[in-house]
Amino acid sequence: MTSSLRSLSGGGGGFTWPWQYYFPPFFTVQVNSDTRAKQLEAWCRLVLDYHRAHKSYVLDISEAQSSQLFSNQDINRRLPPEGIDLVLKTLESRGNVEWQNSEKSRCLVMWRSPREWGELIYKWAQASGHGNSVCTLYELHSGEDTTEEEFCGIELWVLQRSIQALAREGKAELIPGDSADGSDAGVKFFS
Amino acid sequence: MARRRAGIGAINKGKIDKGRYSAKATEIGELELSHVSGQLDTFRKQLEAFATKHKSEIRKNAEFRGHFQQMCARIGVDPLASSKGFWAQTLGVGDFYYELGVQIIEICLASRERNGGLMSFHDLQRKVLATSGKTRQDVSEDDLARAIKKLKILGAGFAVIPMKGGRLVQSVPGELNMDHTAVLQKAEGSAHTSVCELVKELGWTEVRAKSILDHLVHEGMAWVDDQGGPERLYWFPGLFETRDPSASLSSLRM
Repeated sequence: MTSSLRSLSGGGGGFTWPWQYYFPPFFTVQVNSDTRAKQLEAWCRLVLDYHRAHKSYVLDISEAQSSQLFSNQDINRRLPPEGIDLVLKTLESRGNVEWQNSEKSRCLVMWRSPREWGELIYKWAQASGHGNSVCTLYELHSGEDTTEEEFCGIELWVLQRSIQALAREGKAELIPGDSADGSDAGVKFFS
Repeated sequence: MARRRAGIGAINKGKIDKGRYSAKATEIGELELSHVSGQLDTFRKQLEAFATKHKSEIRKNAEFRGHFQQMCARIGVDPLASSKGFWAQTLGVGDFYYELGVQIIEICLASRERNGGLMSFHDLQRKVLATSGKTRQDVSEDDLARAIKKLKILGAGFAVIPMKGGRLVQSVPGELNMDHTAVLQKAEGSAHTSVCELVKELGWTEVRAKSILDHLVHEGMAWVDDQGGPERLYWFPGLFETRDPSASLSSLRM
């Protein structure tokens, strides 16, 4: 059966909101526990789909409350802070969200896990003849060969995690660079 | 000398006459009955011939099907009564409704997650047509109601709730009483209502309005909304019409 949540439509960052986004009570934390579970599920999917469509990996809590993700001006509703908190906690418990600081004011949104990213990158490396050779991380996220790839423009930290995931599977090796932030690091793919 | 009949003879004669009259009456009655049943038989045969001839039309055309059902009802024939009868076998009319029933169950189950088991006939009709493909281009609300009536036999908790504008199908077990139905009727159109509105328009006490709304929330049929004004609003996803996604997309781009 078709999912009640229509995901992204085509390219260009065009994003189709799920029907719930126009349903006013979606922005009030529900009192019935079954209904609340459905609501949270829909919110989690929306947050991940929204970040995927916008290729965004970071969520700033102070900005979140006024962002169009959590507030729909057309129907004059916004998810209150406790609602946002609940959604992010749920995503955290599923491994899709990781806090960047102890105050929990910024978090990483992993709409695709490092392992999944690693798979994509590894497939590209094999297909494009980079097996058994070395690439820089820069080549991967901003190189000319990867402009058509989904991981083009991927943030450095996500990329590093993905390579680490590949390394754990014995498919690649991270070669540290000289700079402190690891921006000049490289990777060797094993075929 | 003329002698009036009297005594025992007269009484006996009366009895005999009475007997003759009633015999004649029965005779006439039987004649008429056989005549009428003969007519009905002829009619039935013609109806059968008609139905066989227009079999595909009956399956395809909702209006035609509606008229056919009415015609059958007038002479006491229920084409849906049995799946093994002549009607079902010849026409597949029974099959039509049983298949439709199965389709309705599937649609209701799939959308229960969203609407808590309440769905407008309009919505249901749209989904039936969308999933039928070419086999069934034309399904009327009347067909839906008939198919749902059949489903009740299964005890699956299917019921039709009358509304002002259209009908609703309820696909979760549990009787909705008059009060619940009244609330749904108030929410028809806007998809929401509130304690105040029910108190004002139905003359209910606050306690009664609150308890009925709470029950609908408890059943998962209503969602609460605390941002719609001074008082809590109760929304029914089953009554909520989804916006056209392309329209929402263009409004976002503006």
